[in-house]
Amino acid sequence: MLRRTLLSFAAMLSFAVQAQAQQAPAEIKIGHLHASSGPFASISMPVYTGLKIWVDETNAAGGAYVKAFDKKIPLKLISYDDQSSTATAATLYNQLITQDKVDILVADSDSVLTSVAVPIAKEHKQFLFNPTGTGAAFFIDNPWIALIADPVSTIWPKYAADYLNDEGAKAGIKTVAILYSTNDFTGTQASAVRGFIKAAGKLDIVYDQGVPTNTSNYTVLINNIAAKNPDAVLHLGYVGNDIAFLRNLQDSGQKFRFLFSIYPGIETEELLKNVGPEGMAGVFTYVTSAAYEYKPEVGWTLEQFRTAWNKANTGLNFGFNSIAGYTTGLVLQETLKGTKSLDQTALRDAVFALSGKLKTLDGPFVLDEHGGQIGEITPLGQFTAEGKEVKLDVVYPPSLANGKGVIGK
Amino acid sequence: MRDARSVSGLRRVFGDLLLAGVVVAVMAVAPSVYSNQLLLFNFVMFLTLSQGLNVIYGFTGYLPFGYVGFFGAGAYGFALAVMHLHAPPLAAMAVGAAAALVLAVILTPLFRLSGAYFAIANLAAAQAVYEIVSNPALEDITKGPYGVSLSGVFAPETSYAVSVAILAGTLLLVVWLRNSRFGLSLRAIKEDPISAAMAGVAVVRGRTIAWLCSALIAGLVGGAFAWQISVFYPETAFSAQFSIFAVVFTLFGGAATLTGPLLGVFILYGIYNTIGITVPQYFQLIYGTLIVALVLFLPNGLVSLLTKRGIRVP
Repeated sequence: MLRRTLLSFAAMLSFAVQAQAQQAPAEIKIGHLHASSGPFASISMPVYTGLKIWVDETNAAGGAYVKAFDKKIPLKLISYDDQSSTATAATLYNQLITQDKVDILVADSDSVLTSVAVPIAKEHKQFLFNPTGTGAAFFIDNPWIALIADPVSTIWPKYAADYLNDEGAKAGIKTVAILYSTNDFTGTQASAVRGFIKAAGKLDIVYDQGVPTNTSNYTVLINNIAAKNPDAVLHLGYVGNDIAFLRNLQDSGQKFRFLFSIYPGIETEELLKNVGPEGMAGVFTYVTSAAYEYKPEVGWTLEQFRTAWNKANTGLNFGFNSIAGYTTGLVLQETLKGTKSLDQTALRDAVFALSGKLKTLDGPFVLDEHGGQIGEITPLGQFTAEGKEVKLDVVYPPSLANGKGVIGK
Repeated sequence: MRDARSVSGLRRVFGDLLLAGVVVAVMAVAPSVYSNQLLLFNFVMFLTLSQGLNVIYGFTGYLPFGYVGFFGAGAYGFALAVMHLHAPPLAAMAVGAAAALVLAVILTPLFRLSGAYFAIANLAAAQAVYEIVSNPALEDITKGPYGVSLSGVFAPETSYAVSVAILAGTLLLVVWLRNSRFGLSLRAIKEDPISAAMAGVAVVRGRTIAWLCSALIAGLVGGAFAWQISVFYPETAFSAQFSIFAVVFTLFGGAATLTGPLLGVFILYGIYNTIGITVPQYFQLIYGTLIVALVLFLPNGLVSLLTKRGIRVP
């Protein structure tokens, strides 16, 4: 009798403990950093704003559904301003983990501001949702990270290089100049494109120069490139670099048969405002989800999100980084939908379980075994000027193309 | 009379040591009551850096705007030793310190300059070191602008403990300088180097030793920083923010004292981590106003509020 009573008591106790363990929190805390000033603000603020729009939209619908508790739970976004300083960012990541005890940690944008989060998150075994930090070192021997809304740097230039090797060679392109900013994002792309060109063996690289990311005057560099008389020029830089490069190129009057630049396709509105349609006409660039409409299975379409962005009156230009922030939110939403608990290991398992099964306005979400994003692709596009606006057509790969690339004479 | 002076001198030393001991003890036990260890590390780092700057500026009057050059040299010395020599962290710290010392020796001719010229030349030298380290052509050696990752030696607790030990050593050095004949000779150099030389003070030797000590401290702190943070870029290790903060904290509290730089760090860095993070838009205004007010009304720092009244501040 006594034994049966004890067993029943133990069973009740176990049930009570289980119920306690499954008790839903009043809110889910999402920790994030953004840079409102400094060199990374132009990338960071759109990502932060896109994420915030998702949080507001989710809370307006009663919160995010969490499978572990079978209910919707409101979200609380705690985002500190690191002012583009890595030292401040490192302290703030620690603050989010140790003081605010956030359930979900989302890194700031860009590799530099993400870099300091990587060892801290790893040390605390906190899974790091990394929106756009593509630094290759982050994913080495680190199970606590996934790249959410940006493909890894080596994927970015693949179609641009393939186009040059294929259509470019047919059109008589023989020599290539590569000018790149020396940072993780563009430096890795320069290495990748160099590798693709050398592997194909059809083109000669006649100019290959890295310059500091804070370079703001390209006049001499453009003249140096022109002196080598290349058929194709690839300029790989950040927003500010591209604006300066394209402006200086316009001023110099130099023309190249093929000109590629990264950010006209990523932050088109920003570039249009600063460079103008004539400076962008004919430029080859990446076609991101800001210009190519993927059919989302989760969340808004591109047009719906653009409408929400304009309605939010953010004061920021709409571009790929806005989508990256919103996409990060959608990945969090689906992670919470599938996770067994808010434990960091469970969150990690839930994110990796989404790989290959999630399609957003940013394209397919696929992770490699290290957490690198390999689902999203960056087709090659080319701008044409249409009055005060520009039009971007996909020209490569042929399976996605809606226009034909025009290589200069 | 002589005995009375010696007792008073001992009291002064005891007061200085007590203050240093309290600060070190507080920072040593702080991680057990506050878990944001990196924030505490930053406090320890700036406490040490501002005292290191105090050694050269407070005692000799030479203000190195490019003080971060030694810090960065220490951080990269540590990183290179770990990456290429696979050195254990403590040995790598020694390499970092040696790198800062070598840089200090190379920059010794800057003492031909003085005042603003010295400060600016020093800033340019730090920038030159940064440009060398971040040069893409040296990617195989320094990793160039792509930054270093030292995840294999990442040990926040141990590196924090080491940084507290460096702070303790630095505070002891400042206590010694404040109470020793050598420290007195440095202050004589600061007041008037020509008169000091005529009185038999070895001016060149004195300020070179102070310069090397100051560089050594920054190099050790740089090494500890690299160990603590483990992933960093040249712009992180050579960020002008380190120099600016160390200078501002020292000037705010009052140079040539033990208390001044400590006060500067605890007050200003404390404000930076409260207002600066929650409302950064007001932070710049408040910080700027504080510094302008200080320069106008208390050019010798907060401690001058007491020293002007004849009260000795440690």
